[in-house]
Amino acid sequence: MRSVSLKWTMLGAAALTAAGCSSYPDQAATRENAERMVRQSFTAPSPDLLKRLEQDRSQRICSKLGDARLTQEEAAEVVKLARASMKYPSGKLAGDWKTGEKLAHDGAGDRIQRGALEKRKENGGLCQNCHALAPGEINVGNIGPALTGYGLQRGDSDAVAKLTYERIYNGWAYAPCSNMPRLGATGHLTPEQITHLVAYLIDPASPINTR
Amino acid sequence: MSAVRSGIAALLALCLAAPGAALAQGKPGIAIGRQMLAEDNPGELWIEQGKALFHQKRGPKNASLEQCDFGMGPGKLEGASARLPRYFSDTDQVQDLESRLLTCMVRLQGFNRDDVIRRAISPAGSNGSDMEALALYITSRSNGMKMSVALDHPKEKEMYKAGEYLFFRRSGQTDFGCVQCHGQPDKRIRLQDLVYMTGKGGTQEIAGTWPAYRGAHYVVRTMQWRLYDCFWQMRLPELAYASDASIALLTYLNYQGNGATIHVPGFKR
Repeated sequence: MRSVSLKWTMLGAAALTAAGCSSYPDQAATRENAERMVRQSFTAPSPDLLKRLEQDRSQRICSKLGDARLTQEEAAEVVKLARASMKYPSGKLAGDWKTGEKLAHDGAGDRIQRGALEKRKENGGLCQNCHALAPGEINVGNIGPALTGYGLQRGDSDAVAKLTYERIYNGWAYAPCSNMPRLGATGHLTPEQITHLVAYLIDPASPINTR
Repeated sequence: MSAVRSGIAALLALCLAAPGAALAQGKPGIAIGRQMLAEDNPGELWIEQGKALFHQKRGPKNASLEQCDFGMGPGKLEGASARLPRYFSDTDQVQDLESRLLTCMVRLQGFNRDDVIRRAISPAGSNGSDMEALALYITSRSNGMKMSVALDHPKEKEMYKAGEYLFFRRSGQTDFGCVQCHGQPDKRIRLQDLVYMTGKGGTQEIAGTWPAYRGAHYVVRTMQWRLYDCFWQMRLPELAYASDASIALLTYLNYQGNGATIHVPGFKR
């Protein structure tokens, strides 16, 4: 008798779950299902390139659905991880603005198409895709803030150079989970490349800072 | 065909050659140029080709696609693509238009699955693939109808939820998920407008416009291509054609686009 009623209770619970749970499937099931899809739905010329799909701790925290906000603890963890990721070049933090200008307008490198990796000496900086740059440039995106006059507003002190470097290397130290890629921390750009972008942004002679 | 191409190239050049004028007028200047291009949409040429391919006896089994069931019954195309992706009991899968076509080309016509997939996305400047022409023809039979993807079957719900999860999932050296580019209105990558997909209206603007003629490629492109190309720019591995992840994202996006009127071929820059 006991086992029979237990069976009915379980059946009832299952039916209730199926009928009453409008958010089917739940978060954990969705995550498992979607992560399985990620593992099965992509190809790459070499297995190590498939690792690009694996999320690090910060990316997992920063993948919230819809309008869900970061908790204070999560934001603090992302900032802490970002701080720990910072690496600096051996020389100065502000390099050559002319090299930086080219980099800022270069959107290529490291893409995978038809079984081949786009091999280049170094990746483009991708800046133009999302940011307004020198005055009068039309072919620029607007996902990120305009960088026109960046140095005019801030100057070119060592403190500004360091802040600018860090915001490019891993901006999540200042704005956790922002849309801005952690260009240095993920290895898309080298520390040296970033110094050239810093110069492009803060050097008084850079077109970014044309009055 | 080459005359069409050089005409398009000339128009594109015109649009690009007058950026000052376009800028002076703001976004409408660019929008007007694109509208001019769209009014004489070369993609129309692919509809007839797709129609012929649909009825022609082809493949190792020498069969047409007339018995292919896109969810409304064998061979019934009107309104079919408006409901896709959807669950199909014969494959026990949720399928989008292209994965369903793939199933039929393999099962009814006897084509090799890998061969069809290898050719599905055509090289730019080519005459296009069978898949592209067929997808356009079949979708065109729903022109004027409204997108109405349903999430009735549990597997449809699972696909939708997985698609939503993937839309927000960040990875790779750019830290990008879909939402980084498609989560706010009125955003651009360089001069290219980005569809605002977390807002209902934004997705509706484009949900009924694919497959579309892509001016820069001189061919008709499908949604499988659109998704593939996004992952390419994100520096992620290649999205496999008709993969579960692609169908999950399409289920999420097309459901968001419900209510949009289908009008294909669309025209993209």
